[in-house]
Amino acid sequence: MKQFAYLLREALTSLRANRTSTLVGVLTTGFTITSFGIFLLLYLNVQKVVGTLQDHVELIVYLKEDFSSEEKSQLERWLKQEPSVEEVSFVSKKEALEDFHHQFPDESFLLDGIGGNPLPASFVATISPNSNSATFVSNVATQVQELPGVERVRYSQEWVERLTLFVSYLELGAVIIGLILCLASITIISNTIRLAFFVRREEIEILRLIGATGTFIAIPYVIEGAILGIVGGGLSVGLLRGMFEVFLQKINALGLIGGFPSALEFFPFQTSLTLIIGGMVLGCTASILSVYSWVRVRP
Amino acid sequence: MIQLFHVTKHYKGCRALSDVSLRIEKGECVLLTGPSGAGKTTLLKLIFGAEIPDDGQILVQNRNIARIRPSDVPFLRRTMGFVLQDFKLLPRKTVFENVALPLIIRGLSSSGTKKKVNEALQAVGMEHKRTTETQVLSAGEQQRVCIARAVVNSPIILLADEPTGNLDPQLTYEISELFKSINARGTTLMLATHNKQVVDHMKGRVIRLDCGRLLSDQRAYQ
Repeated sequence: MKQFAYLLREALTSLRANRTSTLVGVLTTGFTITSFGIFLLLYLNVQKVVGTLQDHVELIVYLKEDFSSEEKSQLERWLKQEPSVEEVSFVSKKEALEDFHHQFPDESFLLDGIGGNPLPASFVATISPNSNSATFVSNVATQVQELPGVERVRYSQEWVERLTLFVSYLELGAVIIGLILCLASITIISNTIRLAFFVRREEIEILRLIGATGTFIAIPYVIEGAILGIVGGGLSVGLLRGMFEVFLQKINALGLIGGFPSALEFFPFQTSLTLIIGGMVLGCTASILSVYSWVRVRP
Repeated sequence: MIQLFHVTKHYKGCRALSDVSLRIEKGECVLLTGPSGAGKTTLLKLIFGAEIPDDGQILVQNRNIARIRPSDVPFLRRTMGFVLQDFKLLPRKTVFENVALPLIIRGLSSSGTKKKVNEALQAVGMEHKRTTETQVLSAGEQQRVCIARAVVNSPIILLADEPTGNLDPQLTYEISELFKSINARGTTLMLATHNKQVVDHMKGRVIRLDCGRLLSDQRAYQ
């Protein structure tokens, strides 16, 4: 316990004594984790949106202008019998127009010049989450397209799949950028610690003289690296939170897609904590790498 | 206690020690003398495990220093004390903190550390300066603190390399007296010096080195 108190005190003294390099170390770690955090935040939110969309894949079957009631019933029966379809609802031409006016009140004038109601009636079929792969939905759509009275079939799955592909690219990007930034951060923290080690080389010589082991000598520097990492990690979480709030405000101010900002979420507490712990691990790794070569040589 | 068998050491082709054999018994007072570059410091460094001999064997307390693993060197050093000409005290730390360091390294309790440090400081007459930072002390005081740090662990062997090199004759006498009292308590002492005053005062076994060779080994005052 007395040993640990001594080692902790030594680490804090070193951090205070080398303020500039400490600041550089903290800022580097902070920058690294912030950059990685931006990717992570984007990735998690896009993945969440994709997940939500995947659970609600809809097949919209637009009917011909002159469809008969028999064709409508036949289509409804077919859709209800299809095992992959969970729910079927009919949207009449009138309901479609009302929906349009409701969803796009400012654009209602567009239909005024046309006269009448140009919007088709449709069936909206909700696909079961177990059967929503792109190929499967595409097959169902092709079969429906062949039925009498059907004008056109549209489904959301295709672009959900594209979004999923985008998420996987994002994932790969996050890993590559994260690795590069981690290496950069380790190099800079490692140099910070090496500098502290160099400044105190005479003290280290004294410690060796009186029988200190390599571990005893190295521990304050590992603690120093851990502190740099924790502070840097905390700084980055704060920065990310601030940037996220500003982003939300901007989105709200621009009036982009209704309900979109509320769908965005910041990291849960565990992820924020993981980022801070990640900073600590980064700092410790950098310290161990920089002091290892010093302490392993013959005293 | 300490045995050297045909020890040779070179530094980048220059001979520092050549075929030196010695046997030092427990509790002996050994004075290593000779001009600068004679090999006194190299001999102490070899015993301390800071250097490895190019040839020959060194036994310290029946452990072969020539074959000791680097990870064992710190534990060997904990059985020894080392005093240097340039003191090697930690700046910005108090006298107490400096002397306590070998005990902290060993993981001794706070109460045990306090007791042992106070005893060591009392032995060198520095207990009144225990809270003073070392950089404001005089040379003589710094050397006393250095001796206190070297003996606080109750070492079996005390090695001193030119410990009076920076001190005036009066301080040299006082420090020599301290070494004598430490040796009188049973600690084996090896002191490297080219100060005749110290050699005459200590009245120990005198080993004379020159150009890395052992010239003479005699008990001058018995």
